Amino acid sequence: MHEQRATAAVASVLVIDDASLVRLYYRQLLEEAGYKVDEALNGVEAFEKIAVQDFDLLIVDINMPKMDGLAFLTALRAQPAPAGTTPALMTSTEDRDRDFEAARNAGANFYLVKPVADELLLRHVAAMTGVRQ
Amino acid sequence: MIAGERSFRSVTSSEEFQTLCEFIYRRTGMSFSEGRRYYVERRIDERIRATGANSFRAYFTLLRANTDGELEQLINSLTVNETYFYREEHQFRCLSSDLLPDIVSRKPAGQPVRIWSAPCSTGEEPYSIAIWLLENWPDVDAYDIEIVASDIDTQALSRARSGCYGARSLARLSSEIIERYFEPAGPAEYRINEELRSSIYFSSINLMDPAATRTQGRFDVIFCRNMLIYFDDASRRVAAENFYDCLEPGGYICLGHTEAMSRISPLFQVRRFHDAIVYQKPEEKSDA
Repeated sequence: MHEQRATAAVASVLVIDDASLVRLYYRQLLEEAGYKVDEALNGVEAFEKIAVQDFDLLIVDINMPKMDGLAFLTALRAQPAPAGTTPALMTSTEDRDRDFEAARNAGANFYLVKPVADELLLRHVAAMTGVRQ
Repeated sequence: MIAGERSFRSVTSSEEFQTLCEFIYRRTGMSFSEGRRYYVERRIDERIRATGANSFRAYFTLLRANTDGELEQLINSLTVNETYFYREEHQFRCLSSDLLPDIVSRKPAGQPVRIWSAPCSTGEEPYSIAIWLLENWPDVDAYDIEIVASDIDTQALSRARSGCYGARSLARLSSEIIERYFEPAGPAEYRINEELRSSIYFSSINLMDPAATRTQGRFDVIFCRNMLIYFDDASRRVAAENFYDCLEPGGYICLGHTEAMSRISPLFQVRRFHDAIVYQKPEEKSDA
């Protein structure tokens, strides 16, 4: 029989956001673009997911209950690779310089202010996961 | 009557019909006039058969004692649950183009936007709201939107939770939307996908009971379409006051197209937007 043909690896993205419709919106958008998407409601749940699976990209909201995005990223960056070095795209409605600064200090690789236009999100996710659009 | 169609057990005398209607009214606020007697009697007849009570009197005793939750069963059969996705779509357009932009402009950062579908019947309305916003509101990822869906009819609610619909319910949706948010669940049947189902909070409550409605918290927008038509003037006013208490200052209520709040209660301000007429709870005046 034929050997199973090797397919290009599908990039996996973990969406960490406490708002269910936001998770659904990003999931819809990214899945239609061909990504594999998983979700977490806050930093604590994100750690549980990361413990059992590696992701190519994390999309992290800032304001979340239990463990917010900044606390989550700070704790994640203290972990060894590959989990600790997973690229992280921070998204938030906060748009002041000090918010960008706080995200950078926590270990975010990029920051987008919500609402994020579909195309902008897809462009950044593609760039950060190395997927050619 | 068509020959062979089942005949009723001459359910009620006028007096009995009135007693029954008063009972239902006291418990639920639903009001049935003599003109709807045929409709009510048909349902009562079904319930008499289902419970094995052999007369109206025996059934009424059972109903008053609420044996095996009979009151709920009767309410389930009296409420009409025929609806469909994107019904009165112009109100959803008004929601995304006028109501939400106004609401979020006043909302402190980090607070959720809360929308209530009450009554939600079999779920087409709350799911339509979610789909509409995902498809049409450019700010959808900037706010935590909570959609709560409530109904007194527990059977309708469990159908809503399961999210299965026939093709007729979906007739107004494009094939792209059906593909995006539904999965095939049988011949000519579709099921809302799990992510969307789990994004709606369902609750079983009597909208006429202020102690129950209070537990749902405050909302920014309430959709209450085609419920008040079942009520008489007094109950409509009670329901309107209940909704008023459940709204944030400046919040909106959307009614069915045949219903007008100005005839029900003076508490709300009429707001005419491009796509719909809705009613607003006045904003609290600051002393500043």
